[in-house]
Amino acid sequence: MTATNQHPLHISDEKCIGCIHCLTACPTKAIRIKGGKARINGDLCIDCGECIRYCPQDAIASGTTSFSDLNAFKYKVAIPATVLYGQFDNATLPNEILFALRRIGFDYVYELSTICELNNSAIAKYIDNHPRPRPLIASTCPVVVRLIQRRFPSLCENIVPIEPPREIAAKILRATLPRILKISPSDIGIIHITPCSAKMVSINFPVSMEKSYLDGAISIRDIYNPIFQALRQSQDETIMCHLFPETIFSGIGMGTALSGGETRGLKNHRTVAVSGVKDTIRVLDQVEMGLLKDVDLLECTVCPDGCVGGPLAVENRFLAKSRILRLVNLMGERTVIDNSDMSTLYHKDFLSFQNPIKPIQALPLDEDPGKAIQKARRRNKLIKILPHKDCGACGAPDCATLADDIVRETAVLTDCPFMKEAK
Amino acid sequence: MSEDDSLRQEFQIKGGDFVRAGTVSCAIKNLLKEIGLSAQVIRRVAIAAYEAEMNIIMYAWQGRFDLSVTPDRVRIVVEDSGPGIEDVELAMREGYSTATPEMRELGFGAGMGLPNIKKNTDELRIDSTVGRGTRLDMIILTNGHKP
Repeated sequence: MTATNQHPLHISDEKCIGCIHCLTACPTKAIRIKGGKARINGDLCIDCGECIRYCPQDAIASGTTSFSDLNAFKYKVAIPATVLYGQFDNATLPNEILFALRRIGFDYVYELSTICELNNSAIAKYIDNHPRPRPLIASTCPVVVRLIQRRFPSLCENIVPIEPPREIAAKILRATLPRILKISPSDIGIIHITPCSAKMVSINFPVSMEKSYLDGAISIRDIYNPIFQALRQSQDETIMCHLFPETIFSGIGMGTALSGGETRGLKNHRTVAVSGVKDTIRVLDQVEMGLLKDVDLLECTVCPDGCVGGPLAVENRFLAKSRILRLVNLMGERTVIDNSDMSTLYHKDFLSFQNPIKPIQALPLDEDPGKAIQKARRRNKLIKILPHKDCGACGAPDCATLADDIVRETAVLTDCPFMKEAK
Repeated sequence: MSEDDSLRQEFQIKGGDFVRAGTVSCAIKNLLKEIGLSAQVIRRVAIAAYEAEMNIIMYAWQGRFDLSVTPDRVRIVVEDSGPGIEDVELAMREGYSTATPEMRELGFGAGMGLPNIKKNTDELRIDSTVGRGTRLDMIILTNGHKP
């Protein structure tokens, strides 16, 4: 498997017209237009999905599991992200959505908000047990983890080594379902339903464990219509769901779909919540310069407003956020998990990372620092002569990046149309 | 390695410019990553540079960073025109600060600036003239052993 294959984002050459929307939107400058088509550099891509949002041609897709892939499993188990509850109108209760998932073919559906609360209190325990380093950084957003590995390698040790709710849920189900249902472990397929373009990579190429406990991730985009149709056709069951709510939801856990959700549960700690990829980068830059040392937990989610703003969600994030907040208020701040359960799992290391997060060496200008310095000098000279229009016509997002590509020998000066004229 | 083999870059910093606070140190940090220096060295440079940058923004009227990088060491000469430091020895003490209440409200002025620079550099020279300004000459060796 090559490095580029690790990434879930695919650009369709048929649809791509070589415009510059994704080019300038990419926060890590991982996209170039070559031969009139956008190309993603897998070494720089952090799977954030910003390009998906900005592509006017709908040419960028995220590699997620398709519904038919699930036929490989005899028992299909769904763990939907709590963001899913905000995707349908206000009258549709979470219970009905879980019911609809069963109607469309899942054998078992497990609710994630209680596990989110479990994860939250495990993080609180970890903070209390570890006075250093500060700030600790939550690991729930896989893009933030990858961003730290690549761009902020010295902050790897600040990541809270507690697995995110989706993995904890799948791990618990893997351990118990075969016994309870008396079925073979290999017959069980556990699927996460997600608004996130990066979950598939975190499942296929996990960084904190040997193998993910999940078998795949279905995007909310792909599963929205089947759920919508199932909801429409199940009026009678709706009444059942209303009268016999069979699942307990956690208001605290539900809130983690929104930015600030993880920190809201931590009442006795100093916390900061940041959302959006550019702001996340800005704050991590500050942490790397020694700031925010008085903060216990830094929650970063690269999607605007948190997971609810994920690129693979359907409903606009403001509506979805309002609905989830309504549910959070409805359920209140009552804890639904037993703290001793959490404590038991915590001390058994059931919730913690198998492997520490390791830095991914970013590519310097040259392996040899002496040569890298020469290249940086040359790059400075190139930046001076380039037109500073940042137009993207050369195929790089801006003039400084073109200069960088030239010294890295992946572009030439005449790629710039203004330089051609000058000749 | 002669000076000709070094990468030199100059940065201007305006006193009181809290909005752009940290941008110069951040640019230096990212540049050093591209040179391929070790994460630990970069972290030390970033912390020292940030403290120096903040000192200009908080206390001086105008200042500049003169960065030079060779594979062996990172040197930043920081020069400002400002009030200068009356008692350098006192300013080097942890917890000593002349920050105004407004600065403290913004979270600055804990009296860790110069001590933090000292802690993260291998060589540090401070020359200050009251009423004129301050010059810091700091060097971080790329094979340094300081934590």
